[in-house]
Amino acid sequence: MEKPSWTPIVLSGAIPREATDLLAILVMGIVALETSLGTIGPVSFNSRLWLSLLVVPPTCALAAVSTTTRRTREELALFAYGGSSWQIFLRYFFRGAICSLVAFSPVILLEFFATAPIRELVLSALALILAGGLFYSLPSLRRIRSSSFVEHYKS
Amino acid sequence: MMETRSVVVEYPSIRGVLRLYDQGVSFKVDQGDFLAVLGGSGWGKSTLVNVVLGLEKPFHGSVSFREHDVTRESFVKRCGLVKTAAVFQRPTALPQMTVSQNLHLALSLAGVPRRERDDRIKEALAFFGLDKIERSYPDGLSAGQRRRIDLARALAVKPELLVIDEPTGDLDGSATNLLIPLLRGLNRNQGTTIFMTTALPRQASQAKHQVHLGPPAYLTPENRMIGD
Repeated sequence: MEKPSWTPIVLSGAIPREATDLLAILVMGIVALETSLGTIGPVSFNSRLWLSLLVVPPTCALAAVSTTTRRTREELALFAYGGSSWQIFLRYFFRGAICSLVAFSPVILLEFFATAPIRELVLSALALILAGGLFYSLPSLRRIRSSSFVEHYKS
Repeated sequence: MMETRSVVVEYPSIRGVLRLYDQGVSFKVDQGDFLAVLGGSGWGKSTLVNVVLGLEKPFHGSVSFREHDVTRESFVKRCGLVKTAAVFQRPTALPQMTVSQNLHLALSLAGVPRRERDDRIKEALAFFGLDKIERSYPDGLSAGQRRRIDLARALAVKPELLVIDEPTGDLDGSATNLLIPLLRGLNRNQGTTIFMTTALPRQASQAKHQVHLGPPAYLTPENRMIGD
């Protein structure tokens, strides 16, 4: 008996590959570096990093909604192939998490070598994953759950 | 295998409430059956496909798969009871993947073992005459080719139940002439159970059984009260 698998849906789309993803990484990366290296602002590293994390939700949400037409086609296809809304949610959650982690990785590494407390670094990485993943995937989940979503299948 | 009982769907509209299948639509699809649902434009053929697949919930009535009530269950849960593949009116191939990558994804999602996938894909592509365009992207292909990709994707999974919404909707005459005999062949030779909707009586007559839909009704607060 063939057993349906959830991994293809999630993994086939987890890697950021669209122009909007790269732009989001760039924006978040610039903000993170600027906050980390800038001389103006709160002195301690952690408060500065936490401040720069505020850029993650809107940037990830913007990257997710700016390609709605293309995304909708993708979601419709994945549904037609037998995927569930939670699999599609996870697919975009991972993509958003990877985008934000990649963008902030230079700063996190910089602070790691500057002997910042590990616990703080792990906490900020977790916050990054959660914020990036959630805000990247929520527009998709909202679209899929809307009553008008399946209307796209009709001509 | 699949059964609907007195299914009614209602939508709010500017003229009141649009009520599809006013008297309720009931039918049964048995193993190896080929059922065609015939109805005019706007009479709810695609909605019925969505109801059967669990993408839309009926206002009234029930849907059962293998005698389990699945009216409120998702498409994924229904696939667990009857392995179902769907071909919608709109092409659904992923635009960023080639034809063969699309089929690969569908098969891996269906849990087909890796070693079997290549053979099944080759077979499906050859069957639908898509072997020469297996490395093309769907957006560069014609409507007929995209429809055949969807069919190849659906059939490569070897479903127990194939649900097709208006199979010849955007196809030219020659593609249409090929498709219906192909579906009949699938049903007859491979035993695939087919549930199809169409607006063309000639196409519906090719199926073993037919269900005729009636036109929708508009309910205003007044006539709803009379009806009640």
